[in-house]
Amino acid sequence: MRRHPATLIVILIVLAIGLDQPDSIFGRFTQQSVTAQIRRTQRRRPPQRSAARAVDYSKFSHATKKHQESCGDCHKVPTDNWQKSRGFPDVADFPDHEACVSCHRQQFFKGARPEICTNCHRVVSPRDEARLPFRNLQSSRQFTIEFPHDKHQDVIARQHRLYRDNAQAVTFLRATFTFPEDKKPVYNNCEICHGPKTGKLEPPPGGWTDGFQPAAADVFKSAPEGHSACFNCHWKGQAPASEKCDGCHKAAAAYNAVGWSSRVSMKFRHSREQHVAECTTCHINITRAATLRGLKPDVPITACSECHNKAPSHLEISGELGQIDKNRQFVCVYCHTSDVGKRDAPASHYLIAERPQIKRQDIK
Amino acid sequence: MLHSLRRVPIILAATRALLFPAAAVCLLVTFSPLPHLLYGNAQTQNANPAEARGVIRLRVRLKTGNAQRGLARKRFFLIKGSAEANKELIQKMQQQPLVSRDCYYQTIGASKPLISWLKENDCESVYCREAEIKDVEGAGAVPEFQKAIEAGEKQFGSRDIARKWLSVNLSDEIKSGFYRQQQKLLQTFLMDAERHSQAKVISVMTDRLGTAYFTDLAPGDYLLTNIVPTEFGEKTELWNCDMKVKPGDLATEKPFQISNAREKNVKCVSEERPIPACPAK
Repeated sequence: MRRHPATLIVILIVLAIGLDQPDSIFGRFTQQSVTAQIRRTQRRRPPQRSAARAVDYSKFSHATKKHQESCGDCHKVPTDNWQKSRGFPDVADFPDHEACVSCHRQQFFKGARPEICTNCHRVVSPRDEARLPFRNLQSSRQFTIEFPHDKHQDVIARQHRLYRDNAQAVTFLRATFTFPEDKKPVYNNCEICHGPKTGKLEPPPGGWTDGFQPAAADVFKSAPEGHSACFNCHWKGQAPASEKCDGCHKAAAAYNAVGWSSRVSMKFRHSREQHVAECTTCHINITRAATLRGLKPDVPITACSECHNKAPSHLEISGELGQIDKNRQFVCVYCHTSDVGKRDAPASHYLIAERPQIKRQDIK
Repeated sequence: MLHSLRRVPIILAATRALLFPAAAVCLLVTFSPLPHLLYGNAQTQNANPAEARGVIRLRVRLKTGNAQRGLARKRFFLIKGSAEANKELIQKMQQQPLVSRDCYYQTIGASKPLISWLKENDCESVYCREAEIKDVEGAGAVPEFQKAIEAGEKQFGSRDIARKWLSVNLSDEIKSGFYRQQQKLLQTFLMDAERHSQAKVISVMTDRLGTAYFTDLAPGDYLLTNIVPTEFGEKTELWNCDMKVKPGDLATEKPFQISNAREKNVKCVSEERPIPACPAK
């Protein structure tokens, strides 16, 4: 039954397109259409001089077809300055002039201050060779990173010690973010890439909600910002090796990285003693993540309710939900700042608290 | 002939004027909900698809003597279909030739200190932890590590980088051979399982307490398995458990507990076998 209207539509669409672009189908029969085509081509093709002007040579782009050759054609691995810049073999500098000049000789010698030089140099002057840091953090990003958490967790996984009858003799992986001085970590875990953040946190756009400013080490963990966490295994041999940039760097439309990730439970502290645990205890879906695309923190409320919904002394979740029942203006503050705490609590919270879900607007 | 060709554009314009609205009307009729209401549809959409998904909290316990602990950092898989439906796959898993960690490293000619280094901290590969200075210098040094450090020092001009980047100068067999061997086995079974069940196999790794969550599960029967037997002391453990996911199953309910010992609350017990002997060279 459904096939007939579908076939009819396809025929009608093809005919309609054909009629809208008659030159493509019937054009060969009409002299007029040939003239029209030439006119259109003339309209589409702007004068060559203006096209050359349109190129902004101060903005290097990997999207340019000529810039999509093999990475090693331009980038040296490692660059000569690695010892001075990084302390470990790395791509720590822009490609040398030879990489550009074969095609851009004209732009290199254009005027007193060629704009093409600003891609790499701080000051455009033959007397100043100082270059911008590589990567230039002021420029937009042109690649996304591909990282399979699942594979890496398999690789650093360990075998299991045979537990002895004497429980004291049992040793477990202490996969934590903070280690007391006397207990050095002996296993690699998530912390090899995600250590505590240090320094002062930049406020989010719009400032700190309720004036609540968390300590850096309490909120997000750091993420690798360079090759130091990668090259120690992937320098050579272990694919993708350092020369194969596109093993991890995937070309993307230019974008600016967001400096601040949103946080639902702003008051949660990673560094609190009771919260020191293996990352995957709470971030439950990380071990199945084969890509960074769409990766979320994925912390279920059950990770919190194990402790924060225990009678009699730790009924923080139920307690605050109970307060909403009495006063619809109540703001949940134990975990949240007011921007989140004034919203309706999600179904998951009511579920673990074994309370019927309610909307604030329904409370009289 | 030329006269009639001149009329073509006029005819085309008139036809176009008629056909465009006709095509638009047809598109609207086809993609609007109207046909579904008129013709009816056996597959009724769920009002709230989120309600139809389930979550399973897996807890893996291992018992030796009186001590019982969670099985940490071990990958488990959920294959669509019951154990009965995956009978052939289970048989293959049970019959797979297993090469233990120690046997693998012996076979590739790894030195005794390297095997001890791996054993000392229950590591499957050199990526498990960083080599310390005592592991690369002095009486207890691992010869493979020493060689790698010498090569690294020449390459990077720094002994410290050479130690931290030790794996870079180890042979592929040593650094990732065992992992690749395990992965090869796994991939064969996963491909078989996906082909047979016509569904993607889901996997998660247990945390340090032996707990893992399978989320966003479609209701139905599943086979919970670790596919490649886990080495535990002198034995291996292979789980093949029937698991039923009901719509709305939640992780707040009792965990799905599995173990190597039949006890209260244990829903599935592993098949325990001694580690196979390593064939002499």
